[in-house]
Amino acid sequence: MIRNFFIYLAVIVIGALFFASMVLFAIPALQDSTVALVGLSSGSGGSGGEGDKATIENEVGKLQKQLEAYTPTNGYMVVNTSDNHFYLYKGRQLLREGICSTGKNEKLVSAERKYEHIFYTPFGVRKVLRKSPNPVWKKPDWAYIEDGLPIPGPNDPSRWETGTLGAYKLEIGDGYMIHGTIYKRRMGMSVTHGCIRLLDDDLEAVYKTMEVGSKVYIY
Amino acid sequence: MKENSADEFDSLFAKEKPKSKGRKYIVLLIILVFLALTSIYAFLSVSAVRDQMGLALARAEATPAVNSELFPQLKEKAWLESRLKMAALDSVGLAIDLEQHVIQLELKGVVVMSSKIRDCSVSGFFRKIDGGAYFATFGSPLTIKEFKSSIAKNPFKVVEAPKDTIAAQLAADAAAKKEKEERKTENVFWTVKLDRGFDLDIQGIDSIAEAQKKYVFGKGFEFERDLKNITNSFQHILKFSKPTYTPEILISIPENEAKAILRALPKNSALITIKI
Repeated sequence: MIRNFFIYLAVIVIGALFFASMVLFAIPALQDSTVALVGLSSGSGGSGGEGDKATIENEVGKLQKQLEAYTPTNGYMVVNTSDNHFYLYKGRQLLREGICSTGKNEKLVSAERKYEHIFYTPFGVRKVLRKSPNPVWKKPDWAYIEDGLPIPGPNDPSRWETGTLGAYKLEIGDGYMIHGTIYKRRMGMSVTHGCIRLLDDDLEAVYKTMEVGSKVYIY
Repeated sequence: MKENSADEFDSLFAKEKPKSKGRKYIVLLIILVFLALTSIYAFLSVSAVRDQMGLALARAEATPAVNSELFPQLKEKAWLESRLKMAALDSVGLAIDLEQHVIQLELKGVVVMSSKIRDCSVSGFFRKIDGGAYFATFGSPLTIKEFKSSIAKNPFKVVEAPKDTIAAQLAADAAAKKEKEERKTENVFWTVKLDRGFDLDIQGIDSIAEAQKKYVFGKGFEFERDLKNITNSFQHILKFSKPTYTPEILISIPENEAKAILRALPKNSALITIKI
């Protein structure tokens, strides 16, 4: 009697397993196969008025050229903020690539000083608006708040720093820049206040290749 | 003394037989119920697929008839036209060429990132569509309606300003260390719902062994997703209703690139162009 009970139980368990495997694996596989769509056709095969092969190929060629025309022929830069990597191109030729540092995606809040500032590198296409060697950095308020220091007056001499931005800077609008850094061990990380930091040699190559008006693609 | 006959001896056990038969019937009935449910569910599932194709065909009715001999050329034309439409916008778009096994991010017509697809699986639904249905589905950029991902799409943290310079230095070091650690353990998988009734799944895989190591049964985004699908299936079985069928395109690319694409695409109405 006990033996029979176990036989029945085994049969039910096998049945349940069969059912579960059908529902979880076999039926979804059937849905994803073309077998489920036998007899249905999307009705191609007409001879619609889309033109002949040569005409379409000609149109494809034109569209291809139109699309290629979007790529700048002069120097341009692509910045991957997720990987903190940059690529310097001239036309379709990759001139240089390497690590960079980009915005830390952080909101700095000081309830005590009633202050907040968002640090991020904006996505999209920007242009080099100005470029200059030996940049001097005027420290903004957030630099003091972030360092736990008191904020000096707007024209206090302590605000002016040389060397912090490296040998060159390229301004890309809204206060964002491409510049060098003294914090080399943090390169390749999302640690900046929105600017794009490069290593010295990379910065020099970028500075020499990119003109005012050159595009910077940030994603 | 009267001796017991063989029949009388058997009669001692005869009372047990009806019970055993009853159990047998119950087991048989359970098996039949399983079989019936399986058949009904299979039928409903296949109907759902056919309904989905019906919708695609209905959309195709609005497009002109397609000459099958010119299909490859027309497909290339549609692909380029679609990418040009994306180029007209200011935001990043995604272009997926399953013929060439390439996935690329495009910004203003410029390819800013290109990656070789490591593996890809496409629902039979897409292998079956051609002609008008193909152009109705892939002839123009698709719009992302919803993102779901195993990692934060746009990670943003709020930091309280430090009280002094020592606290500031400690906070900076801790943040850098944390970022390094997070990078090591991230398992990148994301899925989007597209406006033409199908899903695009992107899986970050650097190596299959690594991906398997990171998958923890009972935890994480992929498990939750699978569990939700299973629950849905059983709910439909119990209600005898048609399960929802969503065709899928699953693409495996390197983990860093899967993450970069997820973060680059705009949260609202991002565009994707696909060539199959």
